[in-house]
Amino acid sequence: MKFNTTRRGLFILGPAMFALTGCAVDADSGFSGDASSVNEISHSLWTYSWLAAAVVGVFTAILIVWPAIFHRAPKNGPEFPKQTQYNIPVEIAYTLIPFIIVAGLFYFTVVKQDQITKPQENVKHEIVVNGFQWSWQFTYLDAGKDVTFTGTPAKPPVLVVPQGERVRYTIESNDVVHGFWIPEFMIQIQNLPGVTNHLEFTANKLGDFPGRCNILCGRNHAQMLFTVRVVTPAEYQTYISNLKLETEKASQA
Amino acid sequence: MTTYAQREATEGVQAPKVAPTSKGRHFVRFITSTDHKTIGYLYLMTTFAWFLIGGVLALILRAELTRPGMQFISNEQYNQVFTMHGTIMLLMFATPLFVGFANVIMPLQIGAADVAFPRLNMLSYWIYLFGGIMAFAGFLAPGGAASFGWTAYAPLSNSQYSPGIGGDLWIVGLAIGGIGTILGGVNFITTIFTMRAPGMTMFRMSIFSWNVLLTSILVLLAFPPLAAALLALESDRLFGSHIFDPANGGAMLWQHLFWFFGHPEVYILALPFFGIATEILPVFSRKPIFGYKGLIAATIAIAALSVSVWAHHMFASGQVLLPFFSFMTFLIGIPTGVKFFNWIGTMWRGHVTFETPMLWVMGFLITFLFGGITGIILASPPLDFAVSASYFVVAHFHYVLFGTVVFAMFAGFYFWWPKMTGRMLNERLGKIHFWTLFFGFHTTFLIQHWLGIKGFPRRYADYLATDGFTTMNMISTVGSILLALSMIPFAINVWITRKSPLVNCDDPWGYGSSLEWATSCPPPRHNFLTMPRIRSERPAFDLHHPHIKTEGH
Repeated sequence: MKFNTTRRGLFILGPAMFALTGCAVDADSGFSGDASSVNEISHSLWTYSWLAAAVVGVFTAILIVWPAIFHRAPKNGPEFPKQTQYNIPVEIAYTLIPFIIVAGLFYFTVVKQDQITKPQENVKHEIVVNGFQWSWQFTYLDAGKDVTFTGTPAKPPVLVVPQGERVRYTIESNDVVHGFWIPEFMIQIQNLPGVTNHLEFTANKLGDFPGRCNILCGRNHAQMLFTVRVVTPAEYQTYISNLKLETEKASQA
Repeated sequence: MTTYAQREATEGVQAPKVAPTSKGRHFVRFITSTDHKTIGYLYLMTTFAWFLIGGVLALILRAELTRPGMQFISNEQYNQVFTMHGTIMLLMFATPLFVGFANVIMPLQIGAADVAFPRLNMLSYWIYLFGGIMAFAGFLAPGGAASFGWTAYAPLSNSQYSPGIGGDLWIVGLAIGGIGTILGGVNFITTIFTMRAPGMTMFRMSIFSWNVLLTSILVLLAFPPLAAALLALESDRLFGSHIFDPANGGAMLWQHLFWFFGHPEVYILALPFFGIATEILPVFSRKPIFGYKGLIAATIAIAALSVSVWAHHMFASGQVLLPFFSFMTFLIGIPTGVKFFNWIGTMWRGHVTFETPMLWVMGFLITFLFGGITGIILASPPLDFAVSASYFVVAHFHYVLFGTVVFAMFAGFYFWWPKMTGRMLNERLGKIHFWTLFFGFHTTFLIQHWLGIKGFPRRYADYLATDGFTTMNMISTVGSILLALSMIPFAINVWITRKSPLVNCDDPWGYGSSLEWATSCPPPRHNFLTMPRIRSERPAFDLHHPHIKTEGH
């Protein structure tokens, strides 16, 4: 009987542990710690929040499963357990301890979100990100107000940004709400019609990173993709001056 | 202390039976009844039908996402299907499911003969039914059903970006259905405040009835703003008003109004089902609820906080006060945690047995625990910026909502089936049903957390083969098939037990606490032939086990 109970308990315990620990372990490797300035701020919060969550989650899961295994009793048994209804010290403890946990999480949250959202002095470049049904238009203000690159659903655009230099993005939309999301940079912000949003970050690693619209914007929402291409500052200058030449040629023609 | 003189006429006499003579008459009697239990059954059957329809829509979504490329439906149809899946599951299944359980159980638990306004109750049902059918009828309209998501963000939902009558049917259908829900809330609040049996003080009322009261108050706070927002949106579409015109800040106005409804709505869906779990745990632990008054305080705190956290759905809008909404959202985790410890404390050192309802409650506890944990992660704006509006969020809210509503719904079905029908459901099939659904659910949704972290946005009809989402989507689809198959043992169970022997007792589980276990299965027309003395929050337990003493503080 005892063996049977334990085995049944493991049957419940197994999936619970799998669900809780499995996710906590992988969450750590889910994001790069330095792909962008946002990752540098948020990644440690992500990791330690999951660690705290895993501790609380596994502890609670054990408390749930414990009586399910060890306080089981035969269905037709006549006896009654002690009819405990209140235990004031325990009740105070389980109300106050979460307050402390939450206060800690909130402190780090506020510190980190201020770092992400606060505008800084050392901004080197300005780019306007305009979302429309169903692609993106990037305007490189360094080169001029009309130096733009526009994508289509079939040919998603490339957003070229310089490595290691802080860029200020102006986020706009002319039609419906879109979401400017670069998953690997741990950052997103909504393109709101009628509202101008701002976002600043530095891309640290050379390479291509996928970006996706993540606010439903109509039929071809899933085709509203873009690529963030992080290049060296010199290549960035070459790119925008070429883009400027092309723009001028197009306007003359 | 109250004692009753038993009415002579009812002494040892069964309730008079009015036997309908034909199936047609039975049907007419059923749909014209003002009995709260019958209306409750109508609600439960209708919501379950919507649950199956919403489930089929979900399977279409999963089938389409299995591989990159569009295999079965177009982009536009995909948008219609997930819009209606969300709408059906939240507003035609889960919300009225609360009304169904509250109708059947709450008057029994407070010792009332019916709800306060039986005819209004019936009207609410028909309004709900037709509102729901109206929104769903968009599939028959030219251009198809609404396709702007159940959140209907402006200006996508206006007549310029979403023309077509499907959108209008959706808006007006939901506004009408919402009125049914509001009337239901009014009815429950009045019933609880005015129709409790003598001796049934507020602090002797069962937790489920408490949660019905608090949920109904939330309904009155949340649904009128939704109705107003929907009608204003329809006025924009139909009469060309500019309420949600982006030039006037309409994009943010809609998000605020919608989520001012949308977040309390989450607790409207959760609280009654927490209540069901709280009813079941003591019965199969042979103990009273642990920390009864603290649990009520926690529920009141959740209800109060739930109207102050709406903008955590809008962290990524760049237009809300992040610290305030983040802090309130963290705070709401505390009373929710308190509930967990109440549930654990109830089982602790109890006489725990695993009849099918208890198994479902365990499934609820584990699933909802994980949903709560990812909720705490999402409450932190820097982390929300990383994964908001992705499959991480899809997985999170399915853990929270499916974990609560569906697990607790089946717990409630297995638990109260003998009370509703007089017959038990089969235990073995119930357990097969549970384990199939449990593994199906977790296979479908656990993997979606990783999909979100890897960058798969919600509401995408398609993805690229190079994105690396294919394997995870396949696993999720396989899980959803298992999840769908788990409905078969339940259907077989309902069918084969339809003529099984009557339980012929008040409490087939043996250790029921609340008042519904002190009347027959099923209860007579006006619920009670005799009323036990109500001297604690466990009147039925006191009646059946008078020698057991509850330990106080």
